[in-house]
Order: sequence, then structure tokens, then C-alpha cells
Amino acid sequence: MRVLLHGAWRGFAGGAREVPLEAATLRDALAELVRVHPGLGERLRDEHGVLRAHLSLFINDEDARFVGGEDATLHEGDIVHVIPALSGGQ
Amino acid sequence: MSKQVVLLVGTKKGLFTLRSDGDRKKWTTEGPYGGPVPIHHAVYDPRDGSMYAAINSTWGGARIEYSRDLGRTWTVTKNPAFPEGSGHTFFQTWHIEPGHKKTPNVVWAGVEPAALFKSEDRGESWQWVRSLEEHPSRPKWNPGAGGLGLHSIAIDADDPNKMNIGISAGGAFNTADGGKTWNADNATTGQSERPDVFSCIHKLLAHPKVSGVRFMRVHLEVYWREPGETTWTYRTPGLPTTFGFAAAIHPHDRAAAYVIPLHDMQRTAVDPGIAVYATRDRGQTWTRNDKGLPAGAHLEALREGMHTDTFDPVGVYFGSANGEVYASRDEGKSWERIVQYLPYVTSVHAATIEG
Repeated sequence: MRVLLHGAWRGFAGGAREVPLEAATLRDALAELVRVHPGLGERLRDEHGVLRAHLSLFINDEDARFVGGEDATLHEGDIVHVIPALSGGQ
Repeated sequence: MSKQVVLLVGTKKGLFTLRSDGDRKKWTTEGPYGGPVPIHHAVYDPRDGSMYAAINSTWGGARIEYSRDLGRTWTVTKNPAFPEGSGHTFFQTWHIEPGHKKTPNVVWAGVEPAALFKSEDRGESWQWVRSLEEHPSRPKWNPGAGGLGLHSIAIDADDPNKMNIGISAGGAFNTADGGKTWNADNATTGQSERPDVFSCIHKLLAHPKVSGVRFMRVHLEVYWREPGETTWTYRTPGLPTTFGFAAAIHPHDRAAAYVIPLHDMQRTAVDPGIAVYATRDRGQTWTRNDKGLPAGAHLEALREGMHTDTFDPVGVYFGSANGEVYASRDEGKSWERIVQYLPYVTSVHAATIEG
């Protein structure tokens, strides 16, 4: 499977657009993503481990919030999209 | 390196740097760095030439970055972070203050929710100054219109253990032991009729050379303090309005300071237009300075929007909400616009670099 970083999120990962990785759940995928790109750590979650606002996570075409959130199971070939939500900025 | 001034201009869409030589007549503009994120405050540390920026982005959360090459490249620091059980989550940075020259690796950050963080490694990491949270007044702190933020960190010229801080809206506090303990610092001689305005500090400054001199801009008042005094002297009379945000203290003259008065509801300059008011007698009298400023312009300048360099004569600078930066090379007497069409300017900081 792979993670695709969109928009501003690429900048936090040194410009990386695509990160191939293996993970059983969305939570595991995000943890592995931060392991590969530590700069994403404090950008994805606050100091208490809560995912930040203005962050959209999709598993393939499904909004992750509606398919189990961070507990969502991932399968071979899945694409996790990390997207700046259509809510931030000024 | 020859003399130069570098203006760090924070805007709602990135950081711009304006550079000039010691003459301060011609300016080059670079940026934006970090666009489109809002830069609440950016500052130069004269101790080692570092620069720090409070980048209050929504995507990815707020962060602080530093530069060790005069703004050409930037590095993200470890975030200020509240511990588990504190009841707080770091939201954004309001102000970054380089520490005293006797503590070369110390940098301070004021954040929202109102709290003070200290770095002892030149901004690489930050530790919460919990003692301030434990002040008995803490439950009474309330957000101002812009939030509950610690925005003023005024370090005494001689003693790094003596600091004053300002919180909107929580009040002014001082410490004499480097932040181990804090005292509410709101005793005044003469003030307006409203009993509540002293909780909403807008800007609190320490004179960089004279120990004990302080200048403070409160929601509807202006105050001065001389060395040895423990109260604030009311110095608002003479200003066209009681309200304002931007304030600066003269880096050499121990009796001089600047403010930009605004309408207290519209938050823009009143008729006959934008002006910088200067005092040379500790606020006893104020002089309007508008030569070179657009006549009749109801501009707005924010809390971090005015600063001075340290040359002689002193250069004074301020930025406006409509994306302009104005500069004075004669200590505020006359002005010229040095850049326009920037995004909304949130902060201006002058880095004086002596070659």
C-alpha cells in the first residue's frame, strides 16, 4: 500500500508525494509515515496525540471518519490520502 | 559585512524580509517565505544572529522556526507542548523574545492558551514555565477578542532574572527570580474610570539599556514606569484616542516611546488619519508625527506591528493591515512608504546588523 501526501503536507515531508509502506490499520500507517518522515510527527498530531484539525484522511475514495477512523483496516493496494482539509488557511 | 537593517515583516500569508544598508533609503523585498501561512511574529536575536518566526498555520498546526543565516533558510523547532494532565493544548505562538545577553542560549515564547515557554538551546526545544500557571489569578484570565495569549515578554536590561510579561486578558506580571515565582503587577497612579481594562495588556516593553524602565500599552491606557517604582504612571492624556496596539520604546533615549492610536471600536486610525505619536518625556506629552503618511488614511497597525532599529538617528518602522510598511529615518518625525501590496501585515521587527 502507499500514502499520498497532498498540498501542504508534502512540504512537511521534504517534498515527498508518495510513501510506500505496510500497515494493518490507518493508525499503524500514520505511525509508519512519521517514522519515515519524522517532520510530520508534530504536524499530524498535537502533544496529546490527537490528530490535528484541518486534516482529511481518506482510504482510497472513502473518508476515513466513516470507515472506522484510525482503527480502519488497510489492505494490500490501498491508498491512504493525507489532505489539507477544505477548512484551513486564511 | 557592512551595516544593514533587515526588517522581518510577518503577514497573514508568509514572511517577507526587507533589506537595506545603513542609509536605509533603498529597500529590497524578498519573500514570502512560508506562504500562505500566517506569521504572527518574527524576531532577530542580536546575540548570535538567529531569527525566529511564530508560524501559526492551520494545516499542520502552529510551529516555531529558526534561521541561522539571516532568513535564507529555516528549520522547524520542536513544538512548545503542554504535559498530559495540564488541561491545555498548544494552539499558537504570540511572541518570541530572545533572552538576556547574560543567558546566551535562552529564548522565550509566549503562547496561546496564555503560557510562557523557555528554551535553553536557542529555540530547538521549549519547556513550559509552569509557575505562571500556578498564579492564583489564573482562573480569572479570559480571552480577549483575539484569544487568550501571552504576548509581551520584557526582560530587564541588567538582570536576566527580572522580567515583566503581559497577557490578554490576564494582566501584567513580574518576576525577580527568573520565572520561579510571579507577582501581579497592576498597581497604578491614576487611570481611567473602567475597572477592567488593566487585565487586557496590549504591549509591555522594557528599555534595552536602562534597568527598570518600562513602557506599557493597555487596552484603553498607556503607562510608564521608572527604575525603583512599583506602580505604573498613567500617561494617556495627550493622545487622540485611548486605544491602540502597536508600541515601541526608543532603544537609546530612556524617556522616549511611540504608539499608534486607534479608534477603540473600529480599530483603525481616527481623523485626520494614521499617525505615530512620540513622547520624549516618559509620556507626559505626546507629539503627532504624520509627515509622509497618507493623509486621512484610517489604517490599522497590530500589536507586533512596530519596531525600531538601533542606529543613530533611530529608524522607526510600522506595518499596516493593508499590506504597507512605513519607515522613518529621523526617529519618527517623517515617514515614507517602503513597500506596498503585501498581505495583511501582522508584525514588523527591525534587525540592526552592524558590520
